[in-house]
Amino acid sequence: MTPLLKVENVVVRFPLQGSFIQSLGFGSASLIEAVAGVSFTLKEGQTYAIVGESGSGKTTLARAIAGLHHADEGSIQYKGNELCQLPEKGFKKYRKDISMIFQDPFGCLSPRLSIKSIITEPFQIQKMKDKDLDAEAKRLLSMVGLPADFATRYPYQLSGGQARRVGVARALSLNPKLIIADEPTAGLDVSIQGELLNLLVKLQNDIGLSFVVISHNLNIVKHISDKMGIMYLGRFVEEGLTDEIFKHPKHPYTFSLLSASPEPDPDAKIDRVELLGDPPSIMHRPKGCEFHTRCPFVKEKCKIEIPKIVYPEQSQAYSCHYSL
Amino acid sequence: MSVLSVKDLSISYQTDSGPLQALRGVSFDIDDNNIVGIVGESGCGKSTLIGSIIKLLDNNAIVEKGEIFFQDKNIISLSDDDMKDILGVDISVIFQDPMQAHNPVLTIGQQMIDIQYRDKKSKKQKQNHAIEMLQLVGMPDPESRIYQYPHEFSGGMRQRIAIAMALMVKPALLIADEPTTALDATLEVQIIQKLKELQKNIHCSILFVSHHLGVIAELCDEVIVMYAGEIVESGSVRDIFHRPKHPYTQALFACDPGRILEKSKELPTIEGEIPNLINLPKGCIFKDRCSQRIDRCDDEIPSTHQIKNTHMAKCHLLAREQK
Amino acid sequence: MKKNSELQIIFKHLMRDPLGMIGFFIVMIIFLSAIFADWLVPYDPIQLNIKDRLQGPSWSHLLGADQLGRDTFSRMIMGGRVALQVALPTIFGAVSIGLILGMIAGFGPRWLDNIIILFFDTLRSFPTVMFALAVVALVGPSLSTVVFIIIATSIPTYGRVVRTQTLSIKSSEFILAEKSMGASTVRILRVHVLPNILGPIAVLVAMDIPTIIGLEAGLSFLGMGVRPPTPSWGVLLNDGYSLIRNTPWLIIAGGIPLILTTLGFTFLGESLRDVIDPKLRGKKR
Repeated sequence: MTPLLKVENVVVRFPLQGSFIQSLGFGSASLIEAVAGVSFTLKEGQTYAIVGESGSGKTTLARAIAGLHHADEGSIQYKGNELCQLPEKGFKKYRKDISMIFQDPFGCLSPRLSIKSIITEPFQIQKMKDKDLDAEAKRLLSMVGLPADFATRYPYQLSGGQARRVGVARALSLNPKLIIADEPTAGLDVSIQGELLNLLVKLQNDIGLSFVVISHNLNIVKHISDKMGIMYLGRFVEEGLTDEIFKHPKHPYTFSLLSASPEPDPDAKIDRVELLGDPPSIMHRPKGCEFHTRCPFVKEKCKIEIPKIVYPEQSQAYSCHYSL
Repeated sequence: MSVLSVKDLSISYQTDSGPLQALRGVSFDIDDNNIVGIVGESGCGKSTLIGSIIKLLDNNAIVEKGEIFFQDKNIISLSDDDMKDILGVDISVIFQDPMQAHNPVLTIGQQMIDIQYRDKKSKKQKQNHAIEMLQLVGMPDPESRIYQYPHEFSGGMRQRIAIAMALMVKPALLIADEPTTALDATLEVQIIQKLKELQKNIHCSILFVSHHLGVIAELCDEVIVMYAGEIVESGSVRDIFHRPKHPYTQALFACDPGRILEKSKELPTIEGEIPNLINLPKGCIFKDRCSQRIDRCDDEIPSTHQIKNTHMAKCHLLAREQK
Repeated sequence: MKKNSELQIIFKHLMRDPLGMIGFFIVMIIFLSAIFADWLVPYDPIQLNIKDRLQGPSWSHLLGADQLGRDTFSRMIMGGRVALQVALPTIFGAVSIGLILGMIAGFGPRWLDNIIILFFDTLRSFPTVMFALAVVALVGPSLSTVVFIIIATSIPTYGRVVRTQTLSIKSSEFILAEKSMGASTVRILRVHVLPNILGPIAVLVAMDIPTIIGLEAGLSFLGMGVRPPTPSWGVLLNDGYSLIRNTPWLIIAGGIPLILTTLGFTFLGESLRDVIDPKLRGKKR
């Protein structure tokens, strides 16, 4: 069975700001690798979580899958069709199948357009003139649990949770198969995070959607994802079934992330794995294992040799010289 | 001995559609050497509360009634000039966004020396004090890093610098408004640890505002839970986290995905939204979203019931219990 | 629906600001008198009437007559129309070209941006009067010459503001969202960038109109603008300058309207600016 999404060794590079001459096209500016070789597969009807902290490259990876960035190397296959290196014209037909929800609930909504215009925008972009936009707007609003009269409102009149749901409505307009959700609960109060997540799960059950969820919040990821990948400096350091990783993390970074969430219990005794120092910048990648500068279990070998990827099970992978 | 004592504070904002009652009857104390946490979600009034303590409210804010006593002065009736003598000396503030907390065109060292302008020390002494503070917050190699600019530091480092600057003056009260919300989890725990250490060192009190329950539980001695402009429950950290009595507190804890240990595909939420603060509903402010609502809640505003020692909650259900 | 409520909000705000209201009224008067000039003028402004020459104000000539017996009041009213005949096409031309170039510069590739900025800076580096002299020497003075000169020197102003606004919107998440849905660049600029930058442009226009009118008056005063017998406030000032000993009324008829126009548009513009900003602040939450 072809997986819905197959990502293989994707690399995304950015040029550092070059000189004026370079901006005219002469000479090459130095490049940094925001995504340095990531692979994973997603089956239909599943949710894959990409977890990482700021600077890990997770948002860049998400945008590459959504066709917003060019992947410089590697392959992204949707239902067996290669998406990398497709020109915009070729990608346009996949925009019906793959849509994105953005991190900032208000920032992603055009401030001067009505909600109806915002959520029916995909129809207009795809030049679907025969659609009754009012009816579509009503349908989409009810799918996300918002009242129909919201169609005439403007983004500044909405709360954070409502704005987030408008973003979901928009992503649903062309009946996609895959939705990429960038930090879907960021900025939402805890009491309404559940609402949004339940909505996503319901949509998955009702219409068979698949999700790629980007998050730094492991608590959320635990509940809604089937598989996950932990990103550090543009690479997965551990990857596999969510349940397995939570029960038996293998990589020290995974372990420290899991133990970093403070327990909402003043008497909780936590075996915290504290990381040393600050995350290194991708402009100066550490030698050997890139995590060694912060790893509390670092040994000599880690500073020199890059660890190979180990596959303890068919669906698990991690890269560390000495696993936990 | 209270460092800060807020008594029956009510503040509203003038809007085109009428007064928006942002704070209603808020009362609490912060004792010496204590860390008090305020838990609340959007619209609970914590920004207004902080704004009123540091006297930086919007122009359309009106203090309807109440007092804020800092040490022995009433902040409400203090002049702006007198307030300036307190801010940055006895009261320090750390804000949410470390990326915007510093002047981008001055080095860290310059800024840390500048804020010591009231001290009559030599520049060298001020610089040494700055280096000391940076060491205390865990910055590596501070002697050379004081010559760097804010953009050369990461978010986590910038927040640490902000903490160093706030505590440099050894204030009696540090107000921290969501200082770790913008940081990753691994940095968050580092900052919290540092705050705990520094608080012990300097013996200041901290007013810590956050919607992150885990951080509050780990850091604070006392906790205040706010909802839509009122304090609905307050007490020691164990009272609140182990024996929450107000339905909102209970519902809030139930929603925290960190507390839900078993994987579940249907997460609990609190249905509905906070009520309109311009046209306040009758009765209890939480009634429309409360799963334990009784008839009395519709018309009667609940009074604050004492449960035990310092543990209090504003709910009709407690009146029954006490009977 | 939306446009109505926006205008309503703007108007409501204007009503609260006394200077804004004053500005609004003055601007209304100028527009109305320009539109209805043909009915308002008691005499044909270019009609000679030698026997009335240099008369002081009287019931038949409200502000007197000039050296050729032309009614000063009529020439003043008609001068308003000339002022707008210069200002409006100029604004339209400068804003349109500025919008297009500015949006391309802000949104397009870096190299194109650099070229357009070079173009703007080159235009800006010509001192206006020298440029005007050169053009007039080539083509001869006339209303359209004035319009052309002022458009050319105004393009960089609008272009730069549009570019800056476009740049700041370009990296917004909603633009990214549009791209992720496959929106074409033209659509993004038309539907998403343009409405969000019109606010500051509107303020700029309101503040710029008096400058343009003043420029026209200056050019006409120097003899490089409209040709006689077309009455413009600058021409009135020029005539009045040499006839100051005979009658001060020409200078008054040329100067006062200029001052009032400048005040009116400036008050209006400043009041508009206050509306635009807090509205934007209120919208971003």
